[in-house]
Amino acid sequence: MIQQICAPVSVIFSFNHQTRVIKPEKIIWDSKIYFISKVGFHHSFRQGSTRFHIFSVVSNNLFFRLSLNTDTLFWNLEEISDGLPD
Amino acid sequence: MGSQIELPFNSKPSTIMHIDLNSCFASIEQQANPLLRNKPIVVAAYNSPSGCILAPSVEAKLLGIKVGMRVKDGKLLCPNLIVRGPDPWKYRTVHLALKKILLEYTNKLAPKSIDEFVLNFEGFPSFSRGLTLVAQEIKTRIKNEIGDWLTVSIGIGPNRFLAKMGSNLKKPDGLEEINYKNFLDVYQKLTLVKLHGIDKSYTARLNLSQIYTVMDFYNATPSQLKSAFQSIQWFYWYLRLRGWEIDDVEFGRKSFGNMYSLPKALVAVEELSPILHKLVQKMSYRLRLNGYCCKGVHLAILYRDHSFWHKGVSLKNPLFDSQDIYRLAVKIMSASPYQKSVANISVSCFNLSKNNTLQLDLFDNLIKKESLVSTIDSINEKWGDFVITPGKMLGTKDLIPDRIAFGNIKELENFIIQNN
Repeated sequence: MIQQICAPVSVIFSFNHQTRVIKPEKIIWDSKIYFISKVGFHHSFRQGSTRFHIFSVVSNNLFFRLSLNTDTLFWNLEEISDGLPD
Repeated sequence: MGSQIELPFNSKPSTIMHIDLNSCFASIEQQANPLLRNKPIVVAAYNSPSGCILAPSVEAKLLGIKVGMRVKDGKLLCPNLIVRGPDPWKYRTVHLALKKILLEYTNKLAPKSIDEFVLNFEGFPSFSRGLTLVAQEIKTRIKNEIGDWLTVSIGIGPNRFLAKMGSNLKKPDGLEEINYKNFLDVYQKLTLVKLHGIDKSYTARLNLSQIYTVMDFYNATPSQLKSAFQSIQWFYWYLRLRGWEIDDVEFGRKSFGNMYSLPKALVAVEELSPILHKLVQKMSYRLRLNGYCCKGVHLAILYRDHSFWHKGVSLKNPLFDSQDIYRLAVKIMSASPYQKSVANISVSCFNLSKNNTLQLDLFDNLIKKESLVSTIDSINEKWGDFVITPGKMLGTKDLIPDRIAFGNIKELENFIIQNN
């Protein structure tokens, strides 16, 4: 099931200067901690002059779409999914 | 071009490569969300029973789900079908990343659509390595640098047509070459409708000239082809099938247009005009962004009973302001003799000219107007599309979402670069 939501979320993020790999490591949402096992895709776009970075990530059997507003540096959870049909 | 023409198959080494990203939108969604992999999914224009399927995944295709089907029909074939709405910026990002890789091999590169590229290696150092090796390397790099779930079908040939045909031979993840050595084997296995550019109506015309198979097509005499096509197309096909290049042409911009399929039935001009206004805003912004003005506006309406009405109006003076184009478009719409439920509305502008050739008008201050329009465009660019909009567009916020046109690639890259 795919669920569109709009909720602020806490994100621990890493950048490795040697491999130049960026990755959300864990998110804290609704008082629960989810460790990110895989980043499926990362893309960005501009809305007006604000750039948003979108990380499509997986933690065990849950998918999260995370959005980073580069003006405020605030994270937002936009979508969750368990990969099953509605 | 006399009837005595006798041209052999082009024996030059293959220099053209056609790259086609398999099940593009659906594969990218599976790339982003690994939980959707190995499952039948589709990307549809709308996640509603009558939403049109834009891209089925490889798994959904195996179940018989095709592009253009309704979501409800797809779910009849596969009750567990997962439906996703389109996410254009994901697809644009993959397009740009793929282009960046391909430009390392040749700069004679033509994007044919969001998921297709044609590359010409003639005269480039990578050609000497052998195109099959280069193609394998490109496949590996796509998996390592863009996404491990993404696959491409690659065709190699002496011309664009045969390279495209090669990419269609094996999907997904194919790599096929059609050249002077194997073209007869390939032609013998194909049917006429499998040829890129030959549809059922062309097949019927070819059949009338006693051409029933691809081999008949290849062996047809010029007079047979002339009688089938009744145009210069006969010669183009004569060359294409023999591996000679005829498709290496880029067509210039002739018009700008935007189209919208209405989610609910609307009839009255007053109900339709906010939608028309938003379509005109989007279209005229693209017109100005590309530095054009227009001297004609065309409106087409498809009704829910499948009847169709359209009208175009040409003008003496060029238009660039959304308000002027809207006024004309709404005037055209009011001229429709039908009061029926509308399914689809499209507006386009034509007779384009570069807007640095504006003639001063005695009664209208064009320079002042251009300055105002360009200021509004700048504000919309800075703060987001449609932050300044006419009152008539109120209530259209969620209508006419961002979409990727099928095939049309003319503005895509400008649009991406501007956004970046």
